[in-house]
Amino acid sequence: MNKADKIFIVLVLLSALLMYVPLFIQDQQNKDKQKEVVVHYQNEEILRVDLLQNHTYQVQATLGEVQIEVKDGAVRVEKETSPYHLCSIQGWVKDTGRPIICLPNELVVQIEAQEPTDDGVDTVIQ
Amino acid sequence: MMKTKRMMYITMLVAISILFHLIESMIPLPLPIPGFKLGIANIVGLVALYMYDAKIMFTVNFMRVILASLMRGILFAPGFWLSLCGVLLSSGAAIIAKRCTPMTIFGVSCASAAFHVIGQVIAVTILYSQFLMGALLPILLLLSIPTGLFTGFMAKQVLNRIQIER
Repeated sequence: MNKADKIFIVLVLLSALLMYVPLFIQDQQNKDKQKEVVVHYQNEEILRVDLLQNHTYQVQATLGEVQIEVKDGAVRVEKETSPYHLCSIQGWVKDTGRPIICLPNELVVQIEAQEPTDDGVDTVIQ
Repeated sequence: MMKTKRMMYITMLVAISILFHLIESMIPLPLPIPGFKLGIANIVGLVALYMYDAKIMFTVNFMRVILASLMRGILFAPGFWLSLCGVLLSSGAAIIAKRCTPMTIFGVSCASAAFHVIGQVIAVTILYSQFLMGALLPILLLLSIPTGLFTGFMAKQVLNRIQIER
């Protein structure tokens, strides 16, 4: 290890920490907005539900049925069929920008902040 | 004669790295961080870079990803594109780091690990057409430093012990 190595390592650590800043700001901005859980399967949106309603949803993915649980403003993948169960190990997620990605199932579960709309378009009806 | 010998060594390197890649993909790490891996296959890439040159390293890594994916049966599946994108960026970073900076094998290994993470995040972003791994990139970058140091250390140990006429 020489000086250049250490400089490079410090640079990487600093840039990693700096990347948290915009995420933190975004999180603060989204604090009061209504949040929704969005589930994508193979680039297609298959589910969009309110984050505040406790419910367990079931969707069909590549390797079988996936159970997605929404509870107390957080979401997790409860049960799924995949080799290593990485997405159910990931556990509860409650902020935007930290999606649950299940590659074997080609499934992405993400929380999105809803922009306050005043153009009268109703997004509740599904 | 020398040419055949050289080719044989390179083939051996490719074979070892495919083996590492396959073994690594069989071991699940029970961590709540998707995409985190030790990167032991990269040891062979680094050994190739320091024993031969940039071209050989690139060949070894590229062949490794293609053949290992073929053996696992995931060629052209999402996992394959993640590996490919990661390995292209990490090889490029290692080559540039070795040629243009005074870094030792540890720094080169860390650069390679960090850019592997960045490549994978780019691949996920392209595959799912939105910036999904935003919050994951910093933590993966932080973790890439210890794994990079580990692979650098291993590669150095190998290079200390190995004796091959170039």
